[in-house]
Amino acid sequence: MSELDPRIHQVLDGELPLESLPPELQATVLRLERAAGLLRAAEAPAGVATRVLAALRRPPPGGSRRRRLLRWLTERHAVTIAMRPVWSLALAAVLAAVVLVPTHGTGPLLGAQEGIAQFVGHFPGARSVDVVGPFTDWRSGVIPLRDEDHDGVWSAVVVLPTGAHEYMFVVDGERWIADPLAGRYVSDGFGRQNALLIVRPVGR
Amino acid sequence: MSGFADALPPDAEVIARILAGDTDAFGILVRRHEAGLLRFATRMLGSADAAADAVAEGLIRAYRHLASLDDPARFRTWVYRIVANRCKSHLGRRSAQGVSLEEAGPVPDPYDGEAELERTEQLALVERALTTLSAEKREAFLLKHVEGLSYEEMAAVTGERIPTLKMRVHRAREALLEVLKEHR
Amino acid sequence: MLALLAVATPLGAQIDGGARARLAGRVPEAAIAAVDSLVRAAQADDLPTEPLVQKALEGAAKHAPPGRIVQAVAAHADQLRQARTLLERAGGPPPTAAEISSVAAAMVRGLPPPLAERIVTALPDEPPGPALHAVADLAGHGFAEDAAVDLIVASARVGLRGLRLLDVATAAVHELQRGATHGDALASVRRALPDVPSPPKPSPAQVNRARRPHPGV
Repeated sequence: MSELDPRIHQVLDGELPLESLPPELQATVLRLERAAGLLRAAEAPAGVATRVLAALRRPPPGGSRRRRLLRWLTERHAVTIAMRPVWSLALAAVLAAVVLVPTHGTGPLLGAQEGIAQFVGHFPGARSVDVVGPFTDWRSGVIPLRDEDHDGVWSAVVVLPTGAHEYMFVVDGERWIADPLAGRYVSDGFGRQNALLIVRPVGR
Repeated sequence: MSGFADALPPDAEVIARILAGDTDAFGILVRRHEAGLLRFATRMLGSADAAADAVAEGLIRAYRHLASLDDPARFRTWVYRIVANRCKSHLGRRSAQGVSLEEAGPVPDPYDGEAELERTEQLALVERALTTLSAEKREAFLLKHVEGLSYEEMAAVTGERIPTLKMRVHRAREALLEVLKEHR
Repeated sequence: MLALLAVATPLGAQIDGGARARLAGRVPEAAIAAVDSLVRAAQADDLPTEPLVQKALEGAAKHAPPGRIVQAVAAHADQLRQARTLLERAGGPPPTAAEISSVAAAMVRGLPPPLAERIVTALPDEPPGPALHAVADLAGHGFAEDAAVDLIVASARVGLRGLRLLDVATAAVHELQRGATHGDALASVRRALPDVPSPPKPSPAQVNRARRPHPGV
């Protein structure tokens, strides 16, 4: 495929006037414009207006609003809202049934439950170690690891929905480290690697 | 286009009406944009039937999510994006079944004069040339040269950066000219 | 909150409030409009949007430049779309948001789409996530991809379902670590099927210590 004189592209992109080109290049521009013109002018296919409007007038299927409600209830913010006691029992019952079916996150629905994730790292001399990931909205400070006996081994045990979770350790608030013990790594799209953890349901 | 088109309110106003409860007003948006969307989808998918499906699905989706549209004045690029995505889904599904993209012949022309015949043949050639492009290049070429979108609008439709889009359009032009040249 | 539960707009608009609120103050201004637009397009396309919001928040937390954030979110949207296409091609009911997210997450690990499709097609009654991750685990340790798929499919066929498929991959990796060649490791695990060790369960003490993250607090 041969490359065109860049001025042809500039004319077609509206960056140069046609007259600035020598005749043979102008002819190429016109050939392309004629081709585009043929495509524009071809008779339009029959419209879809009738079909679309008829579809909109049909009542929505019975399940759809319930499905949307279900989805809203299982969005992350649902479990952090402060509920007033008066109706919290009823909502809690619904949530209990529903939160067991995670429908969001980086790798949900490996099992329909929650599991335990243990994060461990050896960071001697560190002042703080956090785990960050989608389960913390990638914020630091939500899951701090602790080194109670000051031996440089930091750990935390966390409840997470079952499934695959990308995460990183943040040491002293500024050093981002992919857990060397993770065994699974994923490119993060920003030039680094995240560690990957697969949480299994507690029951199995 | 209907002579009454100018008398109808702009997209943003129509959307305000729809959100206020006038469902039927969506018909104005459909009729205003369907020709361009159908033309684009037909070229992308190579089939008028598949295009009708993609555009109808896209318009229904647009209606359902109308309240979430941040800037009603940008309805056109938004709905183009929805339809472009439907087209990509259709293409993805189709490539497994090995369906040729050349299903659609040129749209039959009502006039049978010699000049018209030549135009039909030329159109067939250009259409065939389009099918040789990758989906991204075809999409970029159609949006730029047939639907007349600016690079900024194309960025809003495709989510791609302008330099990427320019490159695709440039390569599409070169590829098309190459195919057209072989048949002179 | 009660009012939110009761609302029903004539168009049934999404109640989730949009991505902007979650991005504001964290993602650079220059990226918010583009990311929000990508999220809305995904929403209109019935693709899961949470992974996209998370990708933007991740980029912001990692101080990526705005252009890079937008690029990463767009790339992830493409991965979700690709995952959906793959699931649709494998046949069966329309894929759920969870299945799409799950497949996309596994494919981000580098599984070639035709391989992922082979797995999903061979195991139509399995949730796709564990099988894909199991093959990715094996591939990540140098096992030949086709042989890895064969082992996982064979395991599913003898009754090992869901997360137990990960145990199959782990068992093969352990053989490798004990000094077996890749071929011998696979053969050894295959011979032992369906007898594959499970990982130890967390102790009651660990479960009691476990905390829930509250990112909104």
